[in-house]
Amino acid sequence: MSNSAIQSGQPSLSNEEREYEMRALISSIWTGGRLFIGIYTFMLASLVFSYFYLRSSDTGLLWRPDHVTAPRAFGFLIFGLSLVTGLLAYVGRKRLVMGSFQDFSVAAWSGVVTGLIALLLQIIELSHLSFYPGSSGYASTFIGFAVMNIVSLVISAYWLETTVARGMRIRREVEGENPEFSSNPRARAFRADVAAMSYFQVFLTLAGALLFAMFYLM
Amino acid sequence: MTNKSTNSTGQVHHLRRMAVVWVIASIIGDILFSIFVAPHVPPGRLTETAAKDQTDFNILFEMALPVLFGVWIYLSYALYFWGDKRNSDVAFSGDAARSNMKTQVSWMVITSVTVLFLAGFGTWALVVDHGSGGGQGPNPAFTPSGSLKAETAALLGKATWSPGSKNILPVQVIGQQWKFTYRYPTFGGFESSQLYLPADTTIAFNVTSLDVIHSFWAYQLGVKADANPQVNDVAFTTTKDPGSFIVRCSELCGIWHGAMYNNGAVLSQSAFENWATTTEAANAANTALLPAFAWTYVPDANGAAGGYYPDGTLTPYSPSEVYGSKQPS
Amino acid sequence: MTISDERSTEVSGPVSGHPHNTRKLSWTQRPGLLSQNLLTAIVFGVIGYLIGHWFGNYLASGYSYIANSGQNSIANTLALAFGVVGWLGGIGALNYPFAKLFGVDGLEEESPVDNWSKYFRYSLDHKIVGLQYVVGVLLFMFTGGLLAMAIRTELLNPTTHIFSPDVYIKIVSEHGTIMMMMATSIIVGPLGNYFVPLMIGARRMAFPRIEALSFWIFTAGYMVIFSALPYGGFPTGWTGYAPLQTQAGPGMVSYLLGFAVIGLGMILAGFNQAVTIINYRAPGMTWSRVPVFVWSILATAALLTLATPVLFAGGLFGLLDKTVQTAFYVDEHGGSSYLWQNLFWFFGHPEVYIMALPGFGIAGELLPVFCRRPLFAYKVSAAGMIGVALLSFFVWQHHLFQSGINPDMRPLFMLTTELISIPTGFIYLVGMGTLYRAKIRFELPMLFVLALFFNFLIGGVTGVFLSDVPVNVTVHGGFFVLSHFHYTIMGGLLFAFMAGLYYWLPKMTGKMMNKKIGKVHFWLMFVFFNLTFFPMFIIGLLGQPRRVFTYATNLQGLNDFSSISAFILGFSFLVFFFNLVYSMWIKPEVAPANPWESLGLEWQTATPVPSYNFERIPVIMTEPYRYSEEGAPAFADFGPKDAPDSPTHTMA
Repeated sequence: MSNSAIQSGQPSLSNEEREYEMRALISSIWTGGRLFIGIYTFMLASLVFSYFYLRSSDTGLLWRPDHVTAPRAFGFLIFGLSLVTGLLAYVGRKRLVMGSFQDFSVAAWSGVVTGLIALLLQIIELSHLSFYPGSSGYASTFIGFAVMNIVSLVISAYWLETTVARGMRIRREVEGENPEFSSNPRARAFRADVAAMSYFQVFLTLAGALLFAMFYLM
Repeated sequence: MTNKSTNSTGQVHHLRRMAVVWVIASIIGDILFSIFVAPHVPPGRLTETAAKDQTDFNILFEMALPVLFGVWIYLSYALYFWGDKRNSDVAFSGDAARSNMKTQVSWMVITSVTVLFLAGFGTWALVVDHGSGGGQGPNPAFTPSGSLKAETAALLGKATWSPGSKNILPVQVIGQQWKFTYRYPTFGGFESSQLYLPADTTIAFNVTSLDVIHSFWAYQLGVKADANPQVNDVAFTTTKDPGSFIVRCSELCGIWHGAMYNNGAVLSQSAFENWATTTEAANAANTALLPAFAWTYVPDANGAAGGYYPDGTLTPYSPSEVYGSKQPS
Repeated sequence: MTISDERSTEVSGPVSGHPHNTRKLSWTQRPGLLSQNLLTAIVFGVIGYLIGHWFGNYLASGYSYIANSGQNSIANTLALAFGVVGWLGGIGALNYPFAKLFGVDGLEEESPVDNWSKYFRYSLDHKIVGLQYVVGVLLFMFTGGLLAMAIRTELLNPTTHIFSPDVYIKIVSEHGTIMMMMATSIIVGPLGNYFVPLMIGARRMAFPRIEALSFWIFTAGYMVIFSALPYGGFPTGWTGYAPLQTQAGPGMVSYLLGFAVIGLGMILAGFNQAVTIINYRAPGMTWSRVPVFVWSILATAALLTLATPVLFAGGLFGLLDKTVQTAFYVDEHGGSSYLWQNLFWFFGHPEVYIMALPGFGIAGELLPVFCRRPLFAYKVSAAGMIGVALLSFFVWQHHLFQSGINPDMRPLFMLTTELISIPTGFIYLVGMGTLYRAKIRFELPMLFVLALFFNFLIGGVTGVFLSDVPVNVTVHGGFFVLSHFHYTIMGGLLFAFMAGLYYWLPKMTGKMMNKKIGKVHFWLMFVFFNLTFFPMFIIGLLGQPRRVFTYATNLQGLNDFSSISAFILGFSFLVFFFNLVYSMWIKPEVAPANPWESLGLEWQTATPVPSYNFERIPVIMTEPYRYSEEGAPAFADFGPKDAPDSPTHTMA
């Protein structure tokens, strides 16, 4: 696209064609965000399947001897913090749509902080387990859950951070433009990115609630 | 593929020619197959299971042959007559070339009917043949009558079998790297590295493993069942006349997987009883050292392979206490 | 991986105030020693490997179970993982994700360095990625093929052995795994990446960085799986069944991590393809005008994105078993070896169709060109591919018919498996319908397509035998099933790949492949493929299990026949490589602009294809494949040469 400035030797397009490609770009972000949720669902579903498979087969009566449970305090804290992260992403986006980049920025940065704390706690939790990783089916799936949760928290924090940093850069670089309203392509793409991001964060929170219930409450 | 028709009469001609060749070829092919090949198709007819598996294979093949011939005849015809050097007509075009409802619908109907018939036939064969000799796990779904009673009796050490008794004979197959051994619960649970079976008897193979996954493939018996550690995989077959068979491992189980095979034989009922009672007596001292007969054997967590955790407190139970007398569900 | 725009979105240069001369060169574009390219990737990869190995030893060597076993899987895993990260960092794949932390968006999409070195760099041009993939998959295939030759050599004689059983089982496992990994990408990677945007009239991929990343992950995966050999190999075959997996040595880590890494690449590749096809179709390209090849890539992409995460998770659990001693697949500690079988085959069966669908797509795409008539039942072919893709998620337990789980589910899985032959049959309806009263041109690509129909028929029909539980008792786990899937994957997919290469290489390189040598290649490959694998059906029926180094002596004749045919089949690939070198470098023959007189969009743009693909966005006017139709409108309208509001359409 913008081509002439960036890719030398490339022909310019008419405005209509540029708009066509711009819309393709925006809808790609939309589709990509949804498809990414699909990918992630199947990955988490593998864990859920493993959990219930081992639970129901209870090989050698070793699914969960003495009903061992990972430290609940950690569980509540980590889940609570990721819940807050998800909520902040959701609310931040709502505020952005209503026109307040400032609110979005505050929400997103707070979300990054809570997400990182949750990440830290999730890692620390692994050194406070009352069981060995291979002592039971539950223990194994819990380690799998912890690893996937670490991945989720990293993705969540990274995506939040990159969107908010991007919004700030757009404000700085595209003079006189507000990313929340501007029709500048960078701002339009930014808003689509924020929408996909907050959608994914909400998904992660919901999936997280299910996994939290499976591993700490059930 | 033969009912492709188009609006113009000139073109139906092609299909009619193909159909004639196809019908003749299919009939000849199927007849030749059933006379010359079908009786020799593996796994032979040593057991009823094997015989039924062979029949199934032959029926499938006789259905597959017309399908193969149909496509091959069509392809050969097309390549011969419609090559651009030979075909002087213009290539088919227009809406009729793009789609033809009648052809499409009849194709779908024919393939669907064929497929549903095959699935139904396969299911029927599976059910009437008690799982067709395939491993059905600890809770078999397709069982010959009396199998549960026989299996329960075997576990309690009360199973009996004698020539003419018509009882089901449970035999345990134990796979380990890299050999199969066999335990006969009906005869005191002795363990043998030879597999002998009585003729005219329904056998319940109880297949398990001590280490990795093996697969008990008694080729001529038409039996194949994976040997999984801590799983009792049950497969049924009914022997007919005496004869010998080969047992191979058909699931990759490590370095010597290729060498994991031995021979077995179906003996006459009296010869079998003779062998079994003699071996029971000869092996009595060894049998006393074996673990009590059970469907599965779990190597102790602190056993040969070494425990995961040396401190002992979290080492899992001693499994024989759990598994000594009951079958895991 | 996060979603964001991965592309330049500037409306126009002058307005946003980025004059040419201030544009910064990215690290992958800089000249000489300052740049990031294959060499830096190798150096960074090695450094990453060493750091990971040290770190793993630092972390874990104190644990007694590691000290006692003398085998530190944590060090192996971290070494390989850090090596992969180093490789990606070295090639420059991580520059952008890192820059994003500081708010950089995808604006400065790099145009490739325009000399030969662009093929050794992290390139965002889908054509370059496509060509990189061609070399990548051929390398993969050549490695796997050599291992196949070794297998057939060992099987020449049941009693005299070339390899020890230990080495043999490593060769078998490595052959299977490498080929399966290669086959998932063999069409989607090279031809999909190169041609999908061209065929849908797009000027770019939706996510070029993700696309490039998928290729460099693919290469990293190749090295990871190959590292199994120096690590002592793995004995499990490509299926990696669990207790053996748990028992195996450090080579198993390479298998598990290799599949996880390749899986990640597959997910990314499918993700990019799906999004591109859904969103970047040119105006006028409604779903009923999408070329069949694109349909097949879309169906494949759906499987790649949704099935592969399960493999990724399965591999992750296996790695956890290997490293931190969890017990996902360890029965004695509360896990289950069936869990691996379920996870693996839940991925594994869609995987099989990942390897079949693109072949159907190429067949459907090429048939009208060489039959000079429209594709018959276009909608049925698209429906067939989608149907296969959907059904493939519901058949995985047919791999477990004899495993002892869920006996009561067998009729169901027998039914679903056999149902798949209905949509697969659609492909035959389309193929045979298109041949009807055609004017067939027996060009090289067409020969390969016809061979695909011949081979896949045998593969498909024997698949029905396998899905029938009673027959499955005899044929499961033997050479019959081995022959069956070689007929579908090699006889189907690989022939389609060859058809695609002969068909599209003139577009990709501007040079024709030599026809005479090509015919020698085709006939050798077709005849000896069948002579290699058809006897294996009989060998299997006669009782030879898979993956054995020895067999019953009465089977030696058939095995030798198969082996000797296999050597000639292997030789036919040398003919292909010779043809490649001969036609591309030794005696190149310039290709005409549209050598096959195709109506496809990809042939309507210039050769070599400019980085922006089309000067103007084409507008699709009608259905594809309207060959031999007098007065049919052109497939696409490319508009006037100079658009009204862009006075100069080429800038210096």
